[in-house]
Amino acid sequence: MKLLAKYNRVTIPITIATLLISSIAFYFILHYVLVHQLDKDLLIEKQEILHHISETGTLPEVSNYKDQQINFTLSKGQVLKNKFSTQNEYDKSEDEEETFRRLDFPVTVKGNTYIATVRKSQQETEDIVRLILMITFSVIAFLLLIIFIANRLLLGKLWQPFNNTIEQLKQFNLLGKNEIELHKTNVDEFTDLNSAAFLMTQKVNADYELLKSFTENASHEIQTPLAIIKTKLELLSQSENLSEPQINAIQSLNAATTRLSKLNQSLLLLTKIENRQFVTTEQVNISAILLSYLDNFEELAETKNISIKKNIGKDLLVEMNESLAEILISNLIINAIKHNHKEGSIEIGIEGNALSISNTGNVPTNGTSEYFERFKKDSASNDSLGLGLSIVKKICETYGFLVSYKYESERHIVSVQFTG
Amino acid sequence: MKILIIEDEKELSASIADYLSSQDYTCDVADDFAGAIDKTEYNNYDCILLDISLPGGSGLKILERLKEDKKTDGVLIISAKNSLDDKIQGLNLGADDYLSKPFHLSELNARIAAIIRRKNFEGNNLIEFQNLIIDTQSKTVTVNKNLVELTKKEYELLLYFISNKKRLISKDAIAEHLWGNDMSGNFDFIYTHIKNLRKKLMDAGDADYIKSVYGMGYKFTNQ
Repeated sequence: MKLLAKYNRVTIPITIATLLISSIAFYFILHYVLVHQLDKDLLIEKQEILHHISETGTLPEVSNYKDQQINFTLSKGQVLKNKFSTQNEYDKSEDEEETFRRLDFPVTVKGNTYIATVRKSQQETEDIVRLILMITFSVIAFLLLIIFIANRLLLGKLWQPFNNTIEQLKQFNLLGKNEIELHKTNVDEFTDLNSAAFLMTQKVNADYELLKSFTENASHEIQTPLAIIKTKLELLSQSENLSEPQINAIQSLNAATTRLSKLNQSLLLLTKIENRQFVTTEQVNISAILLSYLDNFEELAETKNISIKKNIGKDLLVEMNESLAEILISNLIINAIKHNHKEGSIEIGIEGNALSISNTGNVPTNGTSEYFERFKKDSASNDSLGLGLSIVKKICETYGFLVSYKYESERHIVSVQFTG
Repeated sequence: MKILIIEDEKELSASIADYLSSQDYTCDVADDFAGAIDKTEYNNYDCILLDISLPGGSGLKILERLKEDKKTDGVLIISAKNSLDDKIQGLNLGADDYLSKPFHLSELNARIAAIIRRKNFEGNNLIEFQNLIIDTQSKTVTVNKNLVELTKKEYELLLYFISNKKRLISKDAIAEHLWGNDMSGNFDFIYTHIKNLRKKLMDAGDADYIKSVYGMGYKFTNQ
C-alpha cells in the first residue's frame, strides 16, 4: 500500500467524522440561537400587547397574518406565567407541515384573566438553518475534494526526490552504472536518505573492488607456489635410479598439483564470469569456432574411435565475448569426448540459433539436473572436476542463453539456445 | 644459446635454469626490475623469460624498454596472473608468447625453442636428431630420407619430444601440450598417439627413440 493511501485511510475518516460532528453541533447551536431570537421577538410582542392593555384598558385586536398571529382566550386559571412552545400545523394552501413558535402568557383586562397567544412562523428559521447546513455540507465536500487533489499533486511533488533516489538505486549496477546521481533537496529526511544511499553505494563499490583484487591476488599467490612445486617435481622425476615407491609418490604429487591448479583456475574463471569481468562483446561466429575446435579435437576422438557427425548449417552469429564463446564450445566438445565410451559417437548440430551436442556414454546415475551444479560428476571419470558444465551454465546465464541437458534414447544431449 | 630468466621467485628461476641448462642453454637470472634492466641493456639474449609482477616495477615496462631500444630478443611472458588483459597487452607490446603459471618445464622449453626457431627463420629450419629430420617450415618429417606421414597432433608431439630430447616428459605435460589445460589428466588418449607415432617412425627406418619410462612418462632418446 502506498504511503499516501495509508495516510489517507487514517486522515480522511477523521476529517469526515470531525466535520460531521461539528456540523451537527453547529446545527443545534444555530437552531438554538435562531429560536432564541424568535423567542425574543415574541417577548417584544408581549411587551407591546401589555403596553396596549395598560394604555387603552382593552385587548388588542386579534390578528392573523401569515407570519404572526395573536389570539386571546379566557383563562381557566391554568397558565400563570410565560410558556414557549413549538408546534407543527398542516398548511392546506401550501400542502406542507409548517412550524410555529408560540408564547402563551396571562393578561388581565377589566378583572378578567385571558391567555394571550402570540404565534410566529418558525418556518423561515428552519429554512435558514437548512440552507446553512446545506452550504456547510457542500463546503465540507468541496474541502475534502480539494484536500484529496492537493494531496495527490503536492505529495507527488514532495516525494519526487525520494522517487528519484529509488530510481537511481534501481539502476545502480556494479559493472555498468556504478555511481548514483542524487538530486539536491531541502527536505531533511530526503537529504538523510540521499547521503545514506550515497555512502552505501560508495561502500559497495569499494568492497567490490576489494573482492575483485582479492580473487586475482589469491589466484596469483596460489599459482606461484604451485609453479614451484610443479617444476621441482619435474626436475625430481628427471633423476635416474628412482625407486618404485618414489616414482609413485612423485606421480601422486603431480596429479594432485595439477588438480589443484586446474581447480584454482576454474574457480577463478567462474568468479570472473560471475563478476562480469568479461565486458567486451563482439559478433562471434559460433559455427567457425565450433569447426576449429572440432578440427583440434578430431584426433583425440579418433583415439577412442568415437565418430563425430556434424550438421552445421549457416553461420551462427552471436553477440558475446569471444574468449567466453571459445571456453563454452571447448568445454562442450571436451565433455562429449571425455564422458564417451570406446566406439561411441558424437552428433553436433546447429539449427537456427540453437546448438546441440549429443554423445553416447554411461547411463547417468544421479538426477540429470545436477550436472550443471559445481563439483557434481559421474563417478566414472574421476579426473574431471565437475566444473565444466557449471562454467557452461554460468556463461549462458551471463548472456541469457538457455542451456538444457537431457538423457534420451541412450544419448546425453546438451543444447544451448543463443537468444537475442 | 643465451636465456635471461626474469623472475622474483628464486626457487622457480632456479628450477627453470636447472632444466634449461640441461638443454644446452646458458642462463642468466634477474630477480628484480633494476637487475633485469641492467642485464637486458648490456646483453643480447636469444630469449627472455619475463614475469610481469616484479619487485620494483612491472615486467611490461621492461618489454616496452626492449622495444624502444629496438632489441630483437625473443620474449616469453610467464605470469601467474592468468588475466586476459595482461596477455593481450603483453602480446601487443611485442612479446612472442605467453605462458601462465604453473607450467611444465618441458612446455616452457618447447615454447622457447619455437620462439628461437622463429627468430632464426632465415637460417636453418631443419631440426636433426640422428637419422630423423624435421623441416619446421614445410612441417615435414623424414627418417633416412623417407617421408613420414604424420597427423597434425603426431607432428606436434614429435616436435615436442625433439625440443625436450633426453629429458623425461610427463604424460600430463603431453596431454596439456596437445589439447590444452582441460585435457590434462586424461592419459589413455595420449597412449594411442604415442603408439601410432612410434610405429610410423619405426616403419620409416628404425627410429625407435620414444622410450616409455615406468610410471612417469616418456623420453625421446637414442640411448
